[in-house]
Amino acid sequence: MVSTKLYTAIYVVLFVSATVQVLVEFAGLSYWLAFGVIMVLSAAKAVLVAAYFQHLRFEPRSLTYLVGIGLAAALALTLAASYSLL
Amino acid sequence: MTDASPGGDAAADGGHEVARGGDDHGHDFPGTGSIKRWFVTTNHKDVGILYIVTSLFFLVLGGVLAWLMRIQLLAPRALGEGILAPVAYNQAVSAHGLLMVFWFLSPFAFGFANYVVPLQLGAKDLAFPRLNALSYWLYLFSGILFGVSFFQGGTFSGGWTMYAPLNVPTFTPDVGASTAVLALVLFVASVTVSSVNFLTTMHRMRAEGLTLRNVPLFSWTILLTAWMMLFAFAALLAALLVLSSDRLLGTTYFAMESPAGALLWTHLFWFFGHPEVYIVFFPALGVMAEVFQTFTGRRIVGRKWFILAMVLVAIQSFAVWMHHMFLTSINLQVKTLFMITTIGISLPFDLMVFALIYTMLKGKIRFTTPFLFVFGALLLFIIGGITGVFLGAVVLDYEFRGTYWVVAHFHYVMVGGVTALVGGLYYWFPKMTGRMYDEFLGKLHFAVYFVGFNLLYFPLFVAWETPRRVFDYAPELAPWHQLATVGGFVLGLSFLIMFYNLFKSAFVGDPAPDNPWEYATTAEWAVSSPPPLENFDGTPTYRDGHLEFLDAGEVAPSEERSGGPTGAAVSDGGVTASATRAVTADAELPTADATEVEGPSHASIWPFVLSAGAFLVLLGLSPLQDAAFPEGMVGAAYATTTVAGGVVTLGSLVAMGLEPFRGPVFEEGEAWPFAGIDNGKVGMWIFLASDVVLFGGFLGAYVFTRVAFGWTGWEPIPSDPIPGLVNTYILLTSSFTVVLALVAAEKKHKWGLVTSLGATFVLGIGFLVNKGLEWQHLFHEGLWLSTNVRASTFFLTTGLHAAHVIAGLVIALYLTARAWRGAYLEDSRSVEYFGLYWHFVDIVWLFLFPLFYIL
Repeated sequence: MVSTKLYTAIYVVLFVSATVQVLVEFAGLSYWLAFGVIMVLSAAKAVLVAAYFQHLRFEPRSLTYLVGIGLAAALALTLAASYSLL
Repeated sequence: MTDASPGGDAAADGGHEVARGGDDHGHDFPGTGSIKRWFVTTNHKDVGILYIVTSLFFLVLGGVLAWLMRIQLLAPRALGEGILAPVAYNQAVSAHGLLMVFWFLSPFAFGFANYVVPLQLGAKDLAFPRLNALSYWLYLFSGILFGVSFFQGGTFSGGWTMYAPLNVPTFTPDVGASTAVLALVLFVASVTVSSVNFLTTMHRMRAEGLTLRNVPLFSWTILLTAWMMLFAFAALLAALLVLSSDRLLGTTYFAMESPAGALLWTHLFWFFGHPEVYIVFFPALGVMAEVFQTFTGRRIVGRKWFILAMVLVAIQSFAVWMHHMFLTSINLQVKTLFMITTIGISLPFDLMVFALIYTMLKGKIRFTTPFLFVFGALLLFIIGGITGVFLGAVVLDYEFRGTYWVVAHFHYVMVGGVTALVGGLYYWFPKMTGRMYDEFLGKLHFAVYFVGFNLLYFPLFVAWETPRRVFDYAPELAPWHQLATVGGFVLGLSFLIMFYNLFKSAFVGDPAPDNPWEYATTAEWAVSSPPPLENFDGTPTYRDGHLEFLDAGEVAPSEERSGGPTGAAVSDGGVTASATRAVTADAELPTADATEVEGPSHASIWPFVLSAGAFLVLLGLSPLQDAAFPEGMVGAAYATTTVAGGVVTLGSLVAMGLEPFRGPVFEEGEAWPFAGIDNGKVGMWIFLASDVVLFGGFLGAYVFTRVAFGWTGWEPIPSDPIPGLVNTYILLTSSFTVVLALVAAEKKHKWGLVTSLGATFVLGIGFLVNKGLEWQHLFHEGLWLSTNVRASTFFLTTGLHAAHVIAGLVIALYLTARAWRGAYLEDSRSVEYFGLYWHFVDIVWLFLFPLFYIL
């Protein structure tokens, strides 16, 4: 499936990008730009963990869709509820 | 106990077991006449009967509360008048709603689901029989916990919707009010376990040829119900855990001084609450479809479209929740949007109603008792549905909201659903007991029930100007309320006819043949009444377009599964979600029995013990306020109860993990869309999908509150992100060690496995220690859970994550100990499933860290 070497490489990437997230905060970017960069990094890390550590990449796609449905429900609640305040 | 009702005639059932279950493995399975049987059984049919009997008990309890309310409402009352004290009335209203919706309606439907669905699918049991028993016992104990709440100063009195801020101790200070909330938490645990089990079973264990298109309509409704339950109840769990924390630990999400706290509750509650309407109604719809088909002798008109309409409703049900909030401060644009989705959701229902009516017109109706009930249910649902459309319009809702129009509308819908389910009880009674009920008494029950129903609820439409949840109203409405009270007694007493009929018939009714209903076509009618313990003698198949049973020799050999000669026997317990949502995996167990080829197990006491333990934990926690037990003996007693409950819970989890239990044997037939994925893995992923929504609810609450507060004016609680970054490193590393553990297990490298699992455990402890130090530091700075809502969201959200870490560590410790003794080298699935969970906890942290430490 996947070699230990690749797992190790992914681990290093995750480790580094977590560090980058904090560095972005101190880089003096505008708040919303920093917000965007940091959230994209989080999402990218999550995708890596799910695709390789949870090996969703090598499973039937239905499992990915299943998690996607849960995620869609959570986002619908969060976004619609927050929008209702505006 | 009417538990024993199927006992007499089920001797054949019991006898069957003795013959088959008479193994020398310590799993002697007593007959249905034995009390012990009902405590240890994991068989889906037994569990179904337990659900039905227990839910009927809660029907009576909720019904008596309704009677008390109706007596109080005979005349408009001032404070102190009538038979109920003011707060007692509020408690009766709240408890009636909660008991009927949660502890009667859904469990009643799931009694049928448990009994009938595996039969309709051609499965010998549910995928995880012990988890099924666990669902039942968690349900029963949650109901007992709710009962206890009446004796702790008084139960919850803020209405079944538990609106904020009435739901916090400032306004509902009784210990019993907290207990009622905790009882709901336990109930949700039961529902989650049950959803995972049903979804795994229904997707993975259908007989060959039984594609989803061909699944009988009752099973279809249960499938959609279970999907809605999985996600909706996860949102409710988020709401309830936040509420429990506000009540017990002193966080301030819903406090009056928090920005939009009351609105937050309505969002969380109704995001669950609207799908819940269909969760309780869909099974009733399934019963209607089955009974219509049988007693009109015709397949439902437009079957494909009927199913499609239901799928559409199930999806859309998650996009209409704000129509319950038209009178809150949400903006007009979103109100309009939700009015459109709400009116839209009535269209698929129109299609279903017309399909049922057409089926009647094209068929030849036989007015048996089940048909009368479902036909009545259709009429009632039409009235309930049409009156609901009024409430879906923003402008009309301004007038109707908080009145008896709402009360009348949802009783027509929900009790309309009950009407169909009562029809289902008569329909499947011969299958469950092997005896026929008395047809005359059944029809008499229907007549009295239907008159009582309309006498009770129709006047409420006329008297719609009565304010809801209040016992005072305009005097000129009194005659209508008196009519309703009379109707309430007629409706309630009609059930005496049913109880008498069914109880008597269970013992002395005419013996029922396999299929007492001409034109009934679903698979449960193709086996004896009651069915044998393992449902089918051969392997059911729909290979040639109709149901057949194949002998063992005729079955094509299934793919070689990982290891043991037990072949298709799969272990139970891939996923165990306890009240603390802990997860264990014990999939290595079949290999322990690899040399013996035996039938599946049917008995385990641990679901019962585990549920009792969870009950004690929550009962013990109920008097907490600001994270402290009360002073003195009472507080000590409660604290002791919590500890004792914790020990019992943990002990029974381990015992359940170690217990050699063989799940049902099955040949993989139709398994779309999860073909080729092990049941345990499917179950774990389904559970994780619900956990996504749980954390989604928590993060949603955080985002919502922060938006209400003003996003950029909100500083992260920890002034320094470095401890959080260190914890990110620790957690990422622990994820990596879990990956290494699985690699080692697959390479059969025992010490690599033990070392990696041990490292994971140590890293997890390191994470918790680091977090503990950080919290300690914050406490010293004077920050506490109740300081402000900013601190509340930080401590509670990261606390929920920490609880997930702790649950994971318990499993890691268990796995390490088992690996030390040589487990998982032949079958590494347990390590893999634990990894799925652990990585998920890691992913959650990847979002918590920036949201709570950096941004």
